Amino acid sequence: MSVIALSEVLGAPVRDASGAVRGRVREVAVEPQGQTSRVAYLIVGTPEGRRILAPEQMTSFGATVRAVDAASSWQRYTPSDGVLLMKRDLLDQQIIDVHGRKVVRVNDVEFESTPVNSHLALTVVAVDVGARGAIRRLAKGVVPSFTLRALLKRVPPRVIPWEFVDLLETDPARRVKLKIAYEGLSKLHPADIADIVEDLPPAEREAVFETIDEEVAAEALEEIDPKVRLSIVESLDSNRVADIVEEMDPDAAADLLERLPEDRTGEILLEMEPEERQEVSQLLEFGERTAAGRMTTEYIALQETAVADDAIEALKHFEGSREALATIYLLDASRILVGAVPLVKIAISSPAVQLSELSEEYISCPADTPDDDVAALFDKYNLLTLAVVDEQGRLAGIITADDVIAMLRRGR
Amino acid sequence: MTLLRRLSRTRLIAFLALLGPGLIAGEGGNDAGGIWTYSVAGARFGYALLWAMLPTTVALIVVQEMAARMGAVTGKGLSDLIREEFGFRVTFFLMLALVVTNFANIMAEFAGVASSLGLFSIPIYVVVPLSAAAVWIVVVRGTYKSIERIFLIASVIYVCYIVAAFVARPDWMTAASATVARPESPVAGPLRYLYFYTLIGLVGTTISPWMQFYLQASIVEKGVTVRQYRLARWDVILGCVVASVIAWFIIVACAATLHQAGWTELRDAADAAKALRPLAGEYASLLFAAGLFNASLFAATVLPISTAYAVCEGLGFESGLDKKFHEAPVFYWLYTVLIVAGAGVLLIPGFPLTAIMEFSQVVNGVLLPFVLISMLRLTNDRELMGQHVNSRTFNVIAWATAVAMIGLTAALLWTQRVAN
Repeated sequence: MSVIALSEVLGAPVRDASGAVRGRVREVAVEPQGQTSRVAYLIVGTPEGRRILAPEQMTSFGATVRAVDAASSWQRYTPSDGVLLMKRDLLDQQIIDVHGRKVVRVNDVEFESTPVNSHLALTVVAVDVGARGAIRRLAKGVVPSFTLRALLKRVPPRVIPWEFVDLLETDPARRVKLKIAYEGLSKLHPADIADIVEDLPPAEREAVFETIDEEVAAEALEEIDPKVRLSIVESLDSNRVADIVEEMDPDAAADLLERLPEDRTGEILLEMEPEERQEVSQLLEFGERTAAGRMTTEYIALQETAVADDAIEALKHFEGSREALATIYLLDASRILVGAVPLVKIAISSPAVQLSELSEEYISCPADTPDDDVAALFDKYNLLTLAVVDEQGRLAGIITADDVIAMLRRGR
Repeated sequence: MTLLRRLSRTRLIAFLALLGPGLIAGEGGNDAGGIWTYSVAGARFGYALLWAMLPTTVALIVVQEMAARMGAVTGKGLSDLIREEFGFRVTFFLMLALVVTNFANIMAEFAGVASSLGLFSIPIYVVVPLSAAAVWIVVVRGTYKSIERIFLIASVIYVCYIVAAFVARPDWMTAASATVARPESPVAGPLRYLYFYTLIGLVGTTISPWMQFYLQASIVEKGVTVRQYRLARWDVILGCVVASVIAWFIIVACAATLHQAGWTELRDAADAAKALRPLAGEYASLLFAAGLFNASLFAATVLPISTAYAVCEGLGFESGLDKKFHEAPVFYWLYTVLIVAGAGVLLIPGFPLTAIMEFSQVVNGVLLPFVLISMLRLTNDRELMGQHVNSRTFNVIAWATAVAMIGLTAALLWTQRVAN
């Protein structure tokens, strides 16, 4: 068993059964449909054209490749979208290092060759993103290979195991054939995904957002720099944006859609589910830099006659963001705000106690309150959430502290 | 209210918002090395080198347009593309050459800062360390974007050269015919080497390699896409024309004054400032110093950081001012060393400040064809550029420029051998 680098193999002479050099290695191909790390074949450039050579036909793999059979029996190579070509698709390209949570450039690729019966099994083990791959490629053909190998042993490796690599592919059709799904990336924290995506070129950003799960995409999108966020949304098709926006907090969704050209906003709204569409378009009616523009309509409000147990029950069915749960609001029969109960109080009360007994003096503001005044209220009363009411005093939505922090930071 | 905000996102505003990268890149070309090289060209050869300005301007537009188009179509920086298409080894040597060249340019910028303030007898030991520290801090703390506008506005000072050229009553007919004239056969004798040297510097400062990396990066950073590119292109063309017009007037102003008076070899900034005397009289030094100071400091802030980005992106090191020092050590170290060393060498007693300003531009001219050939191969790659590949005219002009620069470099080396 030995580890061989792609740059050592590229250009290596290929000898057939007779020992004569019949061609040189041009590419190493992997077919991700099967085992994602197994090398399917080498592409060998011969005077008669490109031929493929599978590991089952090889006895050695490295600075020289030896085949078990005659060159005449090597199959002709026909280009296919469904294979990953290591030199073309990977070497020098950017990939996502899922483990290190960043975008890196590939300096070299490492293979492991294991003898099986009378031939070889080849697997991709890692990509080299450090100095070792860089020096090897710089010195190749200039420094004798055994000196180079000795020298490189002293260089500390910086490799990413193959299972932590997410490839970037901008062509949707090819992405499907290659089964590139950004599985590793999707498992990261949305804030990390946001950081990674910000480091990518536009086409790759689009590819990521076309592919990953809508819910993950929505969370990541909320974390991304507003300017970049806008350019991503502009590049995606309306149907896809609608799917993602549905998963966002309505206030964040409205915030985003408002920045798009009007006809585009309309297109996206049309693609959305009726319920979400209604919520978001309501928010869009208001100015962006007011309480109404910042508020979310996902909150818990109960009848003033409710008891603590009703509140617990409502919590179990709540699907909005957790920040909105700090306070539970009480409404009268005509939806007029009459009380506010901190969640903590409910937690330490017995199930049968009337919520109106737990209610504290509540703070609310009209829908057209400007941002600055909203922030001032949060500061003055140390709020976690703030109720927004219409002219009749009916609860329209709530603003959560995290939105205020985001708003203040962006204001700088 | 909402309606107004939406209206504001229409086309005119879109163009104004896009206005910038091209203009800034053009202005940045008139840096310390630029002002000095144009002054020297006018002083040494009078109107004789003016013929070079027209073809150089055409080449400048073509080259900058290629860089901007690549940025808009691919969304990637020039060194990213070089790495992805040409592999590690080519990138490594090109980046090495870029670092060396840009280092010479950084020295020139700080030399410009030192020479301009030297006119007021402010010692170099104060000026250089202070300006280097200021540059480092401004960029690392991310306040650069707001300062960029100040530089841009301050570059109006260049208009002085246009006025100065008029006041100096140059021979307009000679200047005009020299501009459209066929290139004269180079002067004979020992001046022949100097002629090629100045000519390469002239082209190298107008179409500097670092500017292409910088321009493409700004286009990407601004998020200009193919759809908005038609507008951005005008910004690029405008920037090139403005830069070249100013360069032309600097040469004419210096030809009409310095060359006329027989000061053909400029020893220091005070000599070059005399070109503004007909306009500003005893305040000529002040005016020249202000222009040179602004241009030098502007380029000194842009150059080191743009170099650090280009190299780290090409070679795959972590880069970006949003990263912490330990996350992107190579990026920050390269940036810091470029500034500290670039400014530091100037403090060596007797260091030839003005010679480095011209020399750095000659190095630009020598590197230019290599960057150009890379750009040409990239902009002709259909897989990369799609329908936005170069037109035949662009290819002809850019190739001609690359070949001409290689030819001029060969001529320079040849005449140097002969002279020795």
